[in-house]
Amino acid sequence: MSLETKVGAALFEVIDPELGINIMDLGLVYDIQADEDKNVTITMTLTTPGCPLHDSITSGAKYQIMQHVEDVGEVKIDLVWEPAWTPNKMSERAREMLLY
Amino acid sequence: MMPQMKTETNIKLPFSFILYGLVALVLSQVILFISNDALVAGQFRIPDIWMGAHFLLLGWAVMIVMGAMYQLVPVAFLTPIWNETFGFIQFGVTAVGITAFSILLGFKPDSAIYGGMLAILGVLMFLFQMLKTILSQQTKNTMTYFVVGALVSFFITIGFGFLLAWNLAYGGIASHNTILYSHIVMGVAGWFTLLIFGFSYKLVPMFSLSHGFSMKFAKPAFFSYIAGLLVLISGFWLVASFIQTIGWLVLLVGFSLFVLDIKEILTKRLKKKLDKPFTFALLAIANGLVIHVLAFLLSLFNNANAKLWSWLIFLYVMTWIIFSILGYLNKIVPFLWWTHKYSDKVGKTKVPMLKEMINEKLSVTIFVLFVISVVGLTIGALAEVALLVMLFQALLTIASIAYVISIVRILFM
Repeated sequence: MSLETKVGAALFEVIDPELGINIMDLGLVYDIQADEDKNVTITMTLTTPGCPLHDSITSGAKYQIMQHVEDVGEVKIDLVWEPAWTPNKMSERAREMLLY
Repeated sequence: MMPQMKTETNIKLPFSFILYGLVALVLSQVILFISNDALVAGQFRIPDIWMGAHFLLLGWAVMIVMGAMYQLVPVAFLTPIWNETFGFIQFGVTAVGITAFSILLGFKPDSAIYGGMLAILGVLMFLFQMLKTILSQQTKNTMTYFVVGALVSFFITIGFGFLLAWNLAYGGIASHNTILYSHIVMGVAGWFTLLIFGFSYKLVPMFSLSHGFSMKFAKPAFFSYIAGLLVLISGFWLVASFIQTIGWLVLLVGFSLFVLDIKEILTKRLKKKLDKPFTFALLAIANGLVIHVLAFLLSLFNNANAKLWSWLIFLYVMTWIIFSILGYLNKIVPFLWWTHKYSDKVGKTKVPMLKEMINEKLSVTIFVLFVISVVGLTIGALAEVALLVMLFQALLTIASIAYVISIVRILFM
């Protein structure tokens, strides 16, 4: 299993506290890159710019990776607003959860 | 990539305002309960009612709004508060000023101007703080116009308020009633309504997870509401009822345009089941629209019944402004407290969801109590049934106390 896949799996455990859905199913994670030294860069967004939960979600993501992915180097989170998040990025599971 | 900015405010700042506001809410309702005989008689312009009304509007509504703005302006405008220390000083000055002003209005109206001056100083400090903060916003958006419009209205409101307090102390300024009407319109419709419009454009999509909406009526709503305020106030000063009717009509148009935008936002929402406190804030929007229609119709048919207009203002304040604040605050406080307590624990230990911090069943019960008591109070007063007024004002006081407990309960989670 590649390091990127392991990191992606760990991020399924980071839950948006307002919506109760993990950030992977919400489609907030745009890209996961690992270099030769196993340093990881996550490019992600939030559902709305200025979301007051941005610090908690990004630090939660960082902590999850550091704690649950073996042999990982530095973890960097790039929070971006372009391209803006759209509902099309959500998984079917997330869509269903929002119905109830 | 947009640079990340530290935009959160020290939690103690918004909470100072919120806690003061909660105490003032209960106090205002207790005062109004004690004065329920004046409410039956439709006597709103007596010291006891002034005291209750100012604890409600300044102590509760203005202080809560100030606290919420210290939290929401950085979130919505992506810019930190200009100076937090200045914010704490502003809180102290405003809290002492509003307390002194409201108490003096009740017990020694001719000296109320001294408390009023301190309250005005506090408000001016707040306006300065917000001005400095908003000026540092990199890209101005629709919300900026609404918030700036609201702040300017607030400035004009306190100007009129100062003239009224001056008249109570020294007399000599003519057109006391016209100043009073302008003070009320700029305060409740200018300051509060424009502010709720502005923040709703951010909060409604955020809480309903809406995407792909246009906000195409935001600017027309802003300009027509401002125009409506100016026309209506001109009508007061020119003592021309047809100008006032046009003013009410333009205000109704502005409010309706805002409602159309909110309707579109809600239609395009992804979160189908909305939180109850948020739904209550949305209900307040419908109330506001209905009252605008009633005000226009009363004006159109030249109804000058002072009692009817007084209760219409009461309904506007309670079911639009106060209900909006009650609903939004029930969402904002859990956000604030969760961020403070659990923000750095995400991913490390199990943390509660925001929804779990609100007792929805209790919230619904309290909101229903508010609706029943306001409706009952209005019917009782218009029918001049003293017992009904006393009972429903007592219920409103109980609802306020229960609401305060439900908010304080969040802080123990």
